[in-house]
Amino acid sequence: MPLLSIAMLCAALANDTIAEEAHNLDVVVINATTGTRQKRSVKGQVASIDEHLSQLDHVNMIRRGSYAWEPVVNNMQTERLSTTIDGMKIFYACTDKMDPVTSYVESGNLQSISLSSGLDGNPQATGNIGGSLDLRLRKAGFDADPHSLTLTAGHEWNGHLQVYGADAAFSTHRFYTNFGAFYRHANNYKTGGGHTLPYSQFQKVNTFANVGLRLTEHDVAEGTFIFDRATDVGYPALNMDVSKAQGIIGSVSYRHIFDHPLLRTWETKLYHNKITHEMDDTHRPDVLIHMDMPGRSRTSGLYSLLAASSARHDAQLNYDLYYNRLFADMTMYPGGAAPMYMVTWADVGTLCTGLALSDIYSLAANQQLRVSAKLAWQTQRLNDDEGYRALSVFFPRVEKNYYQTTGRVAASYRLARKWFQFNVGAGWGSRAPTVTEAYGYYLNNTFDRYDYIGNPSLSNESAVELNTAFTLTPSSVLSLKIDANAFLFSNYIIGRFETRLSPMTIGAEGVKVYDNLSHATIANASFTADWKPLPWLDGQTGLTYAIGRDNDGDPLPLISPFAWHVAANATVSSVQFQLMVKGNARQSNNGEKYGEIETPSWTICDLSASYPFAVRGSQFTVRAGVENLFDKRYTSYSDWNGIPQKGRNVYANLTIGL
Amino acid sequence: MKTNFHTTSALQPTQWILKSLLWIVTLTAFLTSCNSNDDEGFQAISIPGITFDGDIDCCTAEEALQVYNFLQTVTIIPELTTEVAGKYYVSVYTKSGKFHTGYNDIYFVATKKQNGNYVKDFQVTALAPLMTMGMGTSTMKHSTPTSAGTRIFDYSYLALRSGWVSFLMNSTEKDTWELSYDIQILGETASVAQAPITVDALPEGQAWLKSFKIGDKSYVISLVNPQLWETGENEIVAYLSERSMPMTQPFPLSTDKFTIDIDPRMPDMGNHTSPNNKPLERQADGSYKGVINLSMTGLWRIHLVVKDTEGNIVYGGEELDEDGFSSLFWDVTI
Repeated sequence: MPLLSIAMLCAALANDTIAEEAHNLDVVVINATTGTRQKRSVKGQVASIDEHLSQLDHVNMIRRGSYAWEPVVNNMQTERLSTTIDGMKIFYACTDKMDPVTSYVESGNLQSISLSSGLDGNPQATGNIGGSLDLRLRKAGFDADPHSLTLTAGHEWNGHLQVYGADAAFSTHRFYTNFGAFYRHANNYKTGGGHTLPYSQFQKVNTFANVGLRLTEHDVAEGTFIFDRATDVGYPALNMDVSKAQGIIGSVSYRHIFDHPLLRTWETKLYHNKITHEMDDTHRPDVLIHMDMPGRSRTSGLYSLLAASSARHDAQLNYDLYYNRLFADMTMYPGGAAPMYMVTWADVGTLCTGLALSDIYSLAANQQLRVSAKLAWQTQRLNDDEGYRALSVFFPRVEKNYYQTTGRVAASYRLARKWFQFNVGAGWGSRAPTVTEAYGYYLNNTFDRYDYIGNPSLSNESAVELNTAFTLTPSSVLSLKIDANAFLFSNYIIGRFETRLSPMTIGAEGVKVYDNLSHATIANASFTADWKPLPWLDGQTGLTYAIGRDNDGDPLPLISPFAWHVAANATVSSVQFQLMVKGNARQSNNGEKYGEIETPSWTICDLSASYPFAVRGSQFTVRAGVENLFDKRYTSYSDWNGIPQKGRNVYANLTIGL
Repeated sequence: MKTNFHTTSALQPTQWILKSLLWIVTLTAFLTSCNSNDDEGFQAISIPGITFDGDIDCCTAEEALQVYNFLQTVTIIPELTTEVAGKYYVSVYTKSGKFHTGYNDIYFVATKKQNGNYVKDFQVTALAPLMTMGMGTSTMKHSTPTSAGTRIFDYSYLALRSGWVSFLMNSTEKDTWELSYDIQILGETASVAQAPITVDALPEGQAWLKSFKIGDKSYVISLVNPQLWETGENEIVAYLSERSMPMTQPFPLSTDKFTIDIDPRMPDMGNHTSPNNKPLERQADGSYKGVINLSMTGLWRIHLVVKDTEGNIVYGGEELDEDGFSSLFWDVTI
């Protein structure tokens, strides 16, 4: 009987893998137990979440410093993405987006990060026009190694970055637990040419614990917990730093494994997370007015996911519900005069519930149709009266309660032959405005130097997505892939100039109010080639191109320029070497209208090596490398306010599995 | 552009609060009296110090309760209390029991000695503040803007009179204020003559009274109770008074009709301003009313531009401060 259920679980997993291939799912594996050819950072487990995320197709990272980068998928930022942790909703607490939710976990917490490009998101995702990221927690699982201990240590010479981690796992047939702690510390890094970039330091501690209990052969209870706290985080691209960013994330779940011809598993999870964020300008020398800007975000929710499959179908039905509260305020202390106070997020409560359905239908052995749909209802309430009254100065008809209905539907078809694989898909989806877009109050955007005011009368944004991919495998050593997608937006939400209003932030250019553009377009295309001429040598190259246009045909901001990379991997007596050359073309399609300036082209070169070996049953992996070998001083289009990237950086790290 | 900016007028916060309070009190009294007809037997309203003896000059129990409750929200100024013909006491109240520079509401209540109850029909007139500046021989005396008389504070509060005084400056060791008023109560009259009072300075960041000249005329403009403002939309009320001749006479309301544009700015925030403000317009009761929007708390400097009935700027167009705004302004810190 146990064997049977394990077999079924494996079958379900296998089905999952097929499902993942069928739609645009991309996975970066962080903690791999096997050395299979999977995506991961060359730095291994020690790499930051941000470095792992950078490995995903369709993903770029917006950098405001060396910590807490903001993932961009298909050239769309946080507001058009969904980020979940094992299906749990979590929302950042900083009005200036200094804490993307991916910053509240640590690589060691995760097994993998999966990205569903576009509208075909994971079942818990809502508002995911650009894509959905699900951070999958690393659980030891039942019937794994009875006990194991992993130790990691890493050092990077540029910025004196230190990473230490330890975690342990115990597993039996009835019970498992794994827990660990991680610590990262970095000083200011040096840009190309050896100039120290002030305020680029950070420090972070993270602990996690997972526990699983097999109640019966068919019933499993699990619990997860993460405590993450970053302190003294510098943001060289911004006017202030962060004294504390803390996340507490927990869940309990129950899973039933069916012994049924159609039904497979039914998982129900209850979760809660709480984020507190405190900005800090006390270390900056030229502060005109000292400010306190704390923010907090609390989310409680549940989801219930039922999986069923038959010979030709593989279906999932998911119900989810969450309640989020966002509050942020700002107190300014002008020298000698009375403090000035305003509420920037008016304690907005969002209650959202949705029903999602997906199915993979095998039309024939080599053809698959995948459909997914979600319908969500949302109500929002402005709970802070002062914030409500302040907004009503600008919007006299602002109400205390708002209701929105959003939905998405996507379908894709895959045809696989011996020499090629062809995918085509289409979808439609909408999203409700974010709290910042709808109710944000005088939020200064240091990118274009405008103060932004939310607009409670915004309409939902929607988009039609078209995507296609064609992979040609003319021989076993060569693979060529073309991938393209286009998002045709209606009611695209972006800040518009409001010359009648006066800015609040000293030095701000003016005020923008969020508004709907009648239409906008974002399109992405990429080409990748893999070549494996010799058993020990392979090469890879990738090119990506994207455009973004507003309703006047003018460029949207923060769209990647032409980007490319070439990599060569060689394995010589179990040491793996990699040479990577990558670059961006000049960003001349910059969104000038939106305050974006041109970025020059750049090319850098990275070298890395890794060597796994075993000593008396313990597994060791040594990794070492150098990034930006020629110490080039450069800035990418996604470096906020043009802060320069790291100069030459030599790193080495060691992972020990006992 | 979807964003429409417009405003609607609102009740003055004081009045709103007082009205709500009144309703609650009235309702409570009503409910209590209803209940009292039940099995429990009659339960009279009882107010400390008041005997309800059916005196028709005085309040009923319900009316007295309203006045009593209002008086709990203000503070008596003992040195201005007076006795009239041995039969009545007149007491004077302000919000804090003190005076400060700029606009002050003053409340008067008369009580009958015999039963302690509030007298409904009385008049307070000739409200006259006077400042003596300097000591010894070189003294100078002047008055300040006032409401002159008083009015019934609210028609559901028959026994309460209110007036106002807007002090040009605070008391110092050398510069002292006195306040006088006359009272007529059920055929008797009395006066309080030159009772010494203390006028405190407003704290830093508060300046609610300003003077300016148009031609030969000197005006004083007093901002009414800005301490009640909060973030969001507020009604702004002001009184425009004219300096009297001689200056020792209380300054009366000006009968000239102006429109006064308001431009609220935050000097500590690069002169940030707020939208949808409405100018001060003269009302039938002689006050000026408009709408001011405050986008946050802190120090607001409200620059004033005075226009005549034809819309020509008569003050504040050329008299500018270093930032190019009208140098006629109030400072309000909320």
